Amino acid sequence: MKLAKLVGKNLRRRPMRTALTVLGVASAMLLFVLVESLSAGLDHALSGSESARTLIVYRENRYCPQTSFLPQWYGERIAKLPGVASVLPVKVYLNNCRASLDLVAFQGAPAEELLATRGLTLEAGAGERFVREKDSALVGRAFAARKNLAVGDNFRFGNIHVKVVGIFASDEPVEEGVILTHLEFLQRAGPVNRLGTVTQFEVKIDDATRAEAISAQIDDVLVGNTVLMSVQERVKEFGVFRTLGFRASHVAQLVVVESLALSLAGGALGFGLALLIIRFAHVSIGSEGVAIEFVTSPRLALLGLGVATVCGILASLAPAVRSARAEIVVSLRSA
Amino acid sequence: MSLIELRHVTKTYRKGEHVVTPLADVTLDVEKAEFFVLVGPSGSGKTTLLNLIAAIDRPDSGSIRVGDVELGTSSSSRLADWRAEHVGYVFQQANLVPVLTAYENVELPLYLFGLSAAERHRRVALALEAVGLADRATHLPKQLSGGQEQRVAIARAIVADPEILVADEPTGNLDHESAEGVLELLSRLHLERKKTVVMVTHDPRAARFGTRRMVLDKGILREEAAAR
Repeated sequence: MKLAKLVGKNLRRRPMRTALTVLGVASAMLLFVLVESLSAGLDHALSGSESARTLIVYRENRYCPQTSFLPQWYGERIAKLPGVASVLPVKVYLNNCRASLDLVAFQGAPAEELLATRGLTLEAGAGERFVREKDSALVGRAFAARKNLAVGDNFRFGNIHVKVVGIFASDEPVEEGVILTHLEFLQRAGPVNRLGTVTQFEVKIDDATRAEAISAQIDDVLVGNTVLMSVQERVKEFGVFRTLGFRASHVAQLVVVESLALSLAGGALGFGLALLIIRFAHVSIGSEGVAIEFVTSPRLALLGLGVATVCGILASLAPAVRSARAEIVVSLRSA
Repeated sequence: MSLIELRHVTKTYRKGEHVVTPLADVTLDVEKAEFFVLVGPSGSGKTTLLNLIAAIDRPDSGSIRVGDVELGTSSSSRLADWRAEHVGYVFQQANLVPVLTAYENVELPLYLFGLSAAERHRRVALALEAVGLADRATHLPKQLSGGQEQRVAIARAIVADPEILVADEPTGNLDHESAEGVLELLSRLHLERKKTVVMVTHDPRAARFGTRRMVLDKGILREEAAAR
């Protein structure tokens, strides 16, 4: 049997239908990969060992860092409490407090405490220069990659203008999406002078917390709907096939193989598009000052192809059975 | 023994709330290498009878035997295999697969026989040559005239060299000249290749190509002498 050859010809020579179906599947796969990679990124963001014992102290009922103003001297009181190892006052400045695909997040803190408290590893540049120069910044490597920044570059955002003196990796993956500056510099940088106030305190304690990442699933109805439509428009054609001597099982195989081919093509296209977007668009999801990078992996690729395969087969089962069971004379009468 | 034997065949189907009985206790014999033409008004059951002979439909009762195969009691898979080997079907509309070329449409039935590519090519070339369309092999159906499409359909019907050709109003959608050409072709296949042809038509001009003619009207089958 040359079913695959027939399927190939059919798909190639119905380019509009094939393209629409593949794009439909690709869209679903793109969404799936982005959601899964974001989920992986969230896992990654929460996987740092230090996050297990860090508390962030905000002003009550202020969920956006931009609106959280705490007196800086609170830090001294907090530091005196039993069980507190250290307190780091942090000023946060964001371009967007809501979910954003291009979050720019500055964090200002006392330079030496910052270097001592956070588990930063400089991949380029020098920490001494950061301590010495008040308008300097250390840039997380994820943000640097997203904005194509290197040591020696200047980075301007609104009224804030910093010199990049270091690129860092961190034990806390979420920190790799931010720009670290001096506290006082950032307090003065905004439209309103906020000297004496900070956004939050990072308090190291012994408690452990852990968060579950949100998972998502591909909606296969589209694929299902698309396959169903492609079969319905070919009911008569399948009737002709069976008149020629093709068995019902041959017709069912044609439907399944075609659906599988479309699903895999769409899945591969969607996965490729997702990789391109993640690789070159340098987007991250930001929320309340936290930048979550998209993380892809071979496991995600296999999972995506697996999902596309399963969806392709599942979506084709009902139309395949329907096509196989249809009476030939009824199929031939259909328009 | 006749090649095709129908004995007391009845077929009913539902049409809305009504039950229609186009074939009631029909008995018919068609001899090997005969060009049998069944005529009658629209809705008289001609196509139903043809579909039963071609084994794409089953009777409610009675017996249909073609050669040594009892069609009414065979499994669907067995009937599919039987159709592939023994029957070539020519529809009123050519019913070519629109995305396949003339060559590929004719090649389609040969996929079922496990032939080599070279053997398939030889048979397709012969079939297209027989219907006078060797030079249209690479054309898609939309690039062919109605008469040419029907010729491709005939090539598809004969490519596996079946002993029976069934044709359901094969000239119904064609102009006079194209229709004459298709009927001449069927007649030639019957005469030169000794094919048994069973053709349904309501066109008296088409009917004259048969060696035997019967009329089906209101369930009654009446035999007439061939006009030619």
